[in-house]
Amino acid sequence: MKERISVDNNEKNMISSRSASRGVAQAVEASDRVRCLTGIDGLDNILNGGIPKGNTTLVTGTCGTGKTSLGLEFILHGAEEEEVGIFITATETSEKLMESMIPYDFFRPKLLKEGKVEFLSLHELYKTAGISGPEIDSKGAASLIKAVVAAVKKRKAKRLVMDSVTSVCARLSTEDRIREFITGLSHALAKEGCTAILISEVPAGSDIYSPYGVEEAVVDGVVLLGNLERRGDLLRTLQVVKMRGATHSRAKYVLDLTSCGVLLAPLLKGGG
Amino acid sequence: MGKLQEMPPASAIALQMGAKHYFDAVRALLDVFAPRKHLHSIYVTATIPSKSIISALEVLDVDLKRTHFVDCVSSMMMGFSEKDEGAVYVESPTMLENILLKVEFLIRKLDGADSVVIIDSINSLAIHNSLKILSEFLHILINHLRSRNAYTVIFAMEEYTTEEVENILSLVCDETVNFTG
Repeated sequence: MKERISVDNNEKNMISSRSASRGVAQAVEASDRVRCLTGIDGLDNILNGGIPKGNTTLVTGTCGTGKTSLGLEFILHGAEEEEVGIFITATETSEKLMESMIPYDFFRPKLLKEGKVEFLSLHELYKTAGISGPEIDSKGAASLIKAVVAAVKKRKAKRLVMDSVTSVCARLSTEDRIREFITGLSHALAKEGCTAILISEVPAGSDIYSPYGVEEAVVDGVVLLGNLERRGDLLRTLQVVKMRGATHSRAKYVLDLTSCGVLLAPLLKGGG
Repeated sequence: MGKLQEMPPASAIALQMGAKHYFDAVRALLDVFAPRKHLHSIYVTATIPSKSIISALEVLDVDLKRTHFVDCVSSMMMGFSEKDEGAVYVESPTMLENILLKVEFLIRKLDGADSVVIIDSINSLAIHNSLKILSEFLHILINHLRSRNAYTVIFAMEEYTTEEVENILSLVCDETVNFTG
């Protein structure tokens, strides 16, 4: 960059790719389990080298905390590393998601053309699974898992994001079915070597990890995104609550969504 | 300025000055120090809006093509609407983590180019923040910038520098340089 940077300070949901730091690479080498680098430097450092490969992680938080952005960045960084990623969306249209990726510094349209990034509609998957009614029974849940895994196998995908799993859980009706669905999906994806992020929406002001209280118990990892009010300032925060197969920081970090990616800084304590 | 020029990359320097030398110091850094060392400047202003600094420096014919602003005061001003395209804005000087994040954002945008990060000033930041959180912020910022091989220059206005602020500067900086114009 030779000249002054032109920046829109109001930029939102903009993400970037960067290779992991040397520290991260060393941590990966030292780790027993193969890791899947999210490509978000700060998060990979918190996780001491990324998410253990094949893990299913719940990314949870209230609206506007950056869940979808984090999921998109995870998929796009993987695609840059030749790992096909599938983004299953229930909340946004594929076109809208594609549009929101364009301002990212690292976004390259060829990733879409080459099929490295694939957007799938959850409603299409429901159709494939033969689910039509408002409620999904155990048989329907099993068919949905099959449909997701078939999509993963077909594309040889190594990363998957479901945005959001809450919309599926809402139709599963019982805690047992939710548990069965997430466990089944998690195991099936791990078998395919696919690392997954399930996005969970929680109501504003709540201090829960998921609306049904089951999701966080059955997944391998939980990343909590939130808002922290401090003396009238509202800060976006990120905290890794659990991650099976990885030693990790449990500290809270402040998050910024920029055109060069999700950036993280330690939350200052001020001696308090 | 000679002492400043001798400092190696990754140094943290407290630049002490009287209020009357303020613009001379800004000019010396942006127009002499940074160009001689082929550095981009990331100017964090918590004192006056970036637009005012830009206007003043343009009058002095200072080339600002390689200067990038993190403006922590403009958003606090009532009726503020016009933004400069070369600046990123932090809503308040109390949002110290966001200052860290905006500095990191600009460093990434510079794509590895050598840089100096100027904090204007510790006194202004001390108005809005407790000294404990300010020390923590500077400690993290400077160590991060050292890892990026970037210079850190922290302005300290003689008239407003208390003993506690001096202690923070001596703790986090390698050198204190008195700017006398």
